[in-house]
Amino acid sequence: MITLQEDRLEFRFPEVHEEAQCSISFQRTLRIPDDEKDYPLPPGFGKFPLRHLDDYAGRIPEKWVERGGVIMPMFQSEALWIHFQSNAYCDAYPFAIKVATGKIDAITGERWREGLHSDPQDYVVIPTQPWLDGYCVERGVIRQFVAMPLGEGYTVEEQITGESEYGGIQIVAYPMKAEIYEEMRRSLRDGWTVFDFCRAIPMPDMGLAPGGRMKQEIYVDPYGLEAWDQEHSSRCFVTIANSLTWRAITGESPPTIPPTAADYSKACLPWFDYYDGDEKPSKGSKILAGLASVAELSKKKGQAVLPENKSADIKTVINIQKKHSPNQVRESTF
Amino acid sequence: MSTFGSYVREVREKRRETDRRYSLRQVAIRIGVEPAYLSKVERGDVAPPSEATIVRLARDLEEDPDVLLALAGKISSDLQAIIRKRPKLFAQLLRELKKVPDHAILHVVREVRDGNW
Repeated sequence: MITLQEDRLEFRFPEVHEEAQCSISFQRTLRIPDDEKDYPLPPGFGKFPLRHLDDYAGRIPEKWVERGGVIMPMFQSEALWIHFQSNAYCDAYPFAIKVATGKIDAITGERWREGLHSDPQDYVVIPTQPWLDGYCVERGVIRQFVAMPLGEGYTVEEQITGESEYGGIQIVAYPMKAEIYEEMRRSLRDGWTVFDFCRAIPMPDMGLAPGGRMKQEIYVDPYGLEAWDQEHSSRCFVTIANSLTWRAITGESPPTIPPTAADYSKACLPWFDYYDGDEKPSKGSKILAGLASVAELSKKKGQAVLPENKSADIKTVINIQKKHSPNQVRESTF
Repeated sequence: MSTFGSYVREVREKRRETDRRYSLRQVAIRIGVEPAYLSKVERGDVAPPSEATIVRLARDLEEDPDVLLALAGKISSDLQAIIRKRPKLFAQLLRELKKVPDHAILHVVREVRDGNW
């Protein structure tokens, strides 16, 4: 089951194991320059608000209501990263998480399929993978998730399928099989190290598009496909509403626009680097690598959709080593 | 030693093993109290702090504020307000749920609805 708590999606599988619990949130961040340089990890500026979509059923398009799930505001060309958290205090319960945007898998670039697949691996494993900042385009490099309106051809969904049907973010979580978790926990304790608004107001659907390049490894599943309990899963559609319509939908103010990467860097605030030498990084998707970034496509189209795309001079990078704690700190204020 | 204080110390120390930011001093500064005071709280020498401080402490340690408040013998003011609005009904509901297993209570919690996509 999935519940909403303090802008986090809480996944619980009490029928599998009492500790089978994890949470997923969407972090506000700065958009890294889309200039073909490889940037370190940007900070998080706090969580995007998440609301039950059903609470605003009379104010949003019927198509959105049919999908269920939650709704979240983003400005056009704003970026996000996904934060995965396991139960912090107990031995973290592992999960396999599939993430798609516009029903295109963010790891493989393939169309949405039910279930988990290993060749190519179409999911991430938590707590091994603490964050996901974008589309896995090559080994150790991702292209940042950047919000763009559906219908203009920028999103991954439109570039791959030629259609603009879904947008948003789709997430499914599969817990580890309880018996495998118990066995792993015994090994760990023995000292092993494993690891009412009018519908006439336009509410354009938003999707995610590939932005600038960032250094981030997407790790290969260290447990293998058989470790996951595919008979139990919970899934959620995260509809992205343009922040300009957020107040009309919810009556709340949307979060402010994050600073530019150049301004953030100029203020000598930190960027981050995460390295886990114990895990094997996946090689990235050729499909996703072949997509045009927002900057590249906007240049071709002769549109100026990325304001403030100046390159950033990175001054401070904090190296975050893999820790036994599943919840790594990667936040900043500006 | 108080259950609240020992629990806070245990969680903080566990985090400090891998992250130096969880020293007594640094946590105290982040939540806006004197390190000596936090030390006394952890040892159970003084009563647990105010609701607002407990919530800040819970957020800093990434613990559930309601769990820490319960360990401190408190109920958050928003829950108190909910109960005060319909005291008879909620008292009855809580007593009814007293022996119900967790998984059954979770069915009462609002789920994020899945639709067609």
